[in-house]
Amino acid sequence: MKRNPWRDIRLHGTVLVLVVIAELIGTIKIPITQDVAITIMPLIYTIILGLAFYLIKPIKWIHRKQARIAEGAMMLFIGVLIAKLAVSSGQSIGLIFEMGPALILQELGHLATILVLPIALLLGFKKEAIGMTNSIGREPNVAVVVDKYGFNSPESRGVFAIFIIGTVIGTIFISFLVTFSLSFLPLHPYAFAMASGVGSASMNAAAIGPTLAAFPGLETQIEAFAGFSNLLSFCVGIYIVIFVALPLTEKIYNWLEPKIGRESIMPKKEDEEDA
Amino acid sequence: MPDLIDGSENVSVHGIMNWIFLLAIFSIITVIGNYLGYHHPMESSIVGMAILSLITLAGVWLERYLPFNISSILYISVIGIILAFPGMPTSEFVLHYVSQIELLSIVTVFLAYVGIGMGKSWDEFKALGWRAVVITVLVIAATYYGAAIVAHIVLVLTGVPAA
Repeated sequence: MKRNPWRDIRLHGTVLVLVVIAELIGTIKIPITQDVAITIMPLIYTIILGLAFYLIKPIKWIHRKQARIAEGAMMLFIGVLIAKLAVSSGQSIGLIFEMGPALILQELGHLATILVLPIALLLGFKKEAIGMTNSIGREPNVAVVVDKYGFNSPESRGVFAIFIIGTVIGTIFISFLVTFSLSFLPLHPYAFAMASGVGSASMNAAAIGPTLAAFPGLETQIEAFAGFSNLLSFCVGIYIVIFVALPLTEKIYNWLEPKIGRESIMPKKEDEEDA
Repeated sequence: MPDLIDGSENVSVHGIMNWIFLLAIFSIITVIGNYLGYHHPMESSIVGMAILSLITLAGVWLERYLPFNISSILYISVIGIILAFPGMPTSEFVLHYVSQIELLSIVTVFLAYVGIGMGKSWDEFKALGWRAVVITVLVIAATYYGAAIVAHIVLVLTGVPAA
């Protein structure tokens, strides 16, 4: 008896319930200091609740079968996410040409994440490292990596790990990072503004706060540059990842892994090869 | 029962009807979340999700039926950019309705499926552990400093005054 994936009411009904719960709770802001706050968004509730529903035993209607359907369906839903980003890109294409070379070129600065690859290899990561270090690992990057390597690949596990950990600690970490950098690095104010557009709405907001405070009188420009840069990181950034960052990370991995790779820290695989 | 659970071919997302129904379910859930979270009117959100679903459908269809080895996300990107390009006859309509859908609403639903799918490989995730936290922190710092330094150099070279 082969059922069609869309008929699995247990799975889709559960997702609907999770989404309703998450949106009703809404975004929670926990202030730490004057400029630093932790922001917890509904998207983190749904991923954690989804995981919990699978792992917690009393919940009987979410099994391996539902998890597999979720995986397959998710590969299709990546398309919707990409379509939304593409529409935003098309809309802002004119702006990109008006905003000058710095704004566009600094997007290439994001390739610096690949410098972390050797450290990941030294810590004992294998192919996970490709997913982890090709980009900052936000939503569009997750979509690109999963689309290329499949849900059950080590590369995808790597990017998921960065995504989840980044969602939890990213905002607070970048607040401290920016506050620290502003007092120690003599960079152009607009450079700080553009850099805060890392490709995550909450991290962007967290990075703008201290930057605005550091350069009074430049509020409008800093907000504009930060906003455009973040938009670019979302739309144009994924094409840099697809065409430059991922192939480059793979090449460097293949060259470097035999030289400095360590014993893998991953548990031995059982019967999981079904990507 | 066991052979129903094992063997991913049972649940592969193939066949156009399957795609259409899955996208419809995803759209309905997203529209509900988009309404609860951002209070966008459901009627225009439905049109917005229908547009995004059609673009997706066209992209995955092209990937399967064109002889090139090109990922669907590139087809989807090109179609989306062209439809929304300023000056295109479609752009006003597409932008009006798609802007009713928050990116975060889509991501929230998407990640519910990801969470359930991840449960299956939870042991492998746990093994990533503290090392993954180290890498996350470094990757965020690299993104920030990479962009800041390139922007600084270009701003100085192009002579943009600092105030």
